[in-house]
Amino acid sequence: MSAAPLAAADLLVVDGVTCRFGGVTAVNEVSFAVGRGELFGLIGPNGAGKTTLFNLITGLTAPSGGHLRYRGEDITGLPPHRVAERGIARTFQNVRLFGELSALDNVMIARHVRTRSGLVSGVLGLGAARREEHETRERAAALLALVGLDARSEERARNLAYGDQRRLEIARALALEPELLLLDEPAAGMNAGEKRALSDLIRSVRARLSLTVLLIEHYVPLVMHLCDRIAVLNFGQLIALGPPAEVQKHPAVVEAYLGDST
Amino acid sequence: MASFLATYDFLLVSMVLAAVLALTLYLPLMAGQLSVASPGFYALGGYIAAIMSTRIFPPGPGLYPVSLVLLEMAVAAVVSGVLGLAVGVPALRLRGIFLALATIAFVQILGVVALNLDVTGGAIGIFGIPQPFSSAIQYMWLAVPLLVVSMLFVARLERTRTGRALVALREDELAAAAMGINPTYHKVLAFTTSAVLAGAVGAVSAHFINTWNSRQGTFDTSVNLMAFVLVGGSRTFVGPVVGGLVLTALPEALRGIAGVDVLPAWLAAFLRDGRLIIFGILIAIGTVFFPHGLITPGLLRRLGRRGARPG
Repeated sequence: MSAAPLAAADLLVVDGVTCRFGGVTAVNEVSFAVGRGELFGLIGPNGAGKTTLFNLITGLTAPSGGHLRYRGEDITGLPPHRVAERGIARTFQNVRLFGELSALDNVMIARHVRTRSGLVSGVLGLGAARREEHETRERAAALLALVGLDARSEERARNLAYGDQRRLEIARALALEPELLLLDEPAAGMNAGEKRALSDLIRSVRARLSLTVLLIEHYVPLVMHLCDRIAVLNFGQLIALGPPAEVQKHPAVVEAYLGDST
Repeated sequence: MASFLATYDFLLVSMVLAAVLALTLYLPLMAGQLSVASPGFYALGGYIAAIMSTRIFPPGPGLYPVSLVLLEMAVAAVVSGVLGLAVGVPALRLRGIFLALATIAFVQILGVVALNLDVTGGAIGIFGIPQPFSSAIQYMWLAVPLLVVSMLFVARLERTRTGRALVALREDELAAAAMGINPTYHKVLAFTTSAVLAGAVGAVSAHFINTWNSRQGTFDTSVNLMAFVLVGGSRTFVGPVVGGLVLTALPEALRGIAGVDVLPAWLAAFLRDGRLIIFGILIAIGTVFFPHGLITPGLLRRLGRRGARPG
């Protein structure tokens, strides 16, 4: 796969990114570009490097080589909080909520980069800080309502059902007001009805908040149904990239991943 | 009442100051960082007050002005804050037990420095620190406001953007960072705030104890503070405050119980002389059976609900 073309509309450009852990090459010179407003799927068998790629984009892991550009700016090797500040939010494959805290607190925490008040102004609760606190609460409550958790806002995150926890993670990620949202297997552990609801949620949220979404998903029908374009990883390498219908027929993909489901 | 205050004046003030010190351990713990550095800043604050009041402001006739004590507290707080920042930036790159070890080392280093400098009076320390009050109980005028302000500060902090960022780091540092929270900045902020408060407490304590030397604010104090937080509770600021108050009073309470006539002689002797053993047993039992301490957020919620219920 050669370097992806650099169009002006590209929000995220992954350019020859490699990640090695000791002798294992988890991601091997992967290049692609995600256009503004696109719903971009990332699929591949277990251990293909999908989550590693997410970790590279969000700064949790530093790449061994290659570059990441976001809105034309080089974000390679930035620490996670700097990446988040720039408008990239994510969820985690194995849900990482703040378990002891309420659902509402989980979402309020993620308003961090969109709020300003510091130690002193916050503690004194002066005019601006007080207004900001109020707004943070309102917005967090609205996001909980958006994902259908408004009735459970005071529930501790760890006590929520698994599907609810996944939706709470999406609400928390949305609280950053991201332009790019990375969803790592959001439908894992959900039943068919929940998966359909999730698919509708992702679609409506993307339209309403003009989001660009990068989605890792094992559940192939969801990806095929939802995504504009799909990239397929296998053993750390990008083996196919294109619209769902095209990717589905790609011989390498059929062999590596979809072979048993066609 | 008057005789109670006269008998226990020293103990009551010690209890309040211990509660504030327990809060200095709680602040970094809010961000999940076990730092036992505050006795070091406490010692530093004490030396600053001792040196300022004995060398810089020569004691005149009568009582030492309270305004100068407040000035010493401010200086101690600022100096501790600056040192806290200088120590915190490198130290808070360490995690878990390594941070605890580094802060123990910090406290030891400060102790050795104090023991060997001329300005701190070497092994003898600084004595005859002037008194702003005519009786020990009047130190409550400084200690109680300090405790109330610290408690209000921490209580408010838990409900602000910064406080939420600290708690998020405690819950899951990686997820917090992915939500845009700068881990190092917030850990250093909590550590430095703790240092500021510990320095101020040290300044009051130096006057209160009347003498200051390298036996103040040692590793023993670190262990006591940890016990306050562990027994009291580490998930809400009420825990350390209660732990500090109760555990400081406990030895005296045991001594009082030992004085009751009906007790057999051996038990009275044990309560009187074995109170450190009892103290240790309580800490052990507390940490085994109440891992989050006696006062937990859940307990406070239940109490609040009961209080709010009409009738």
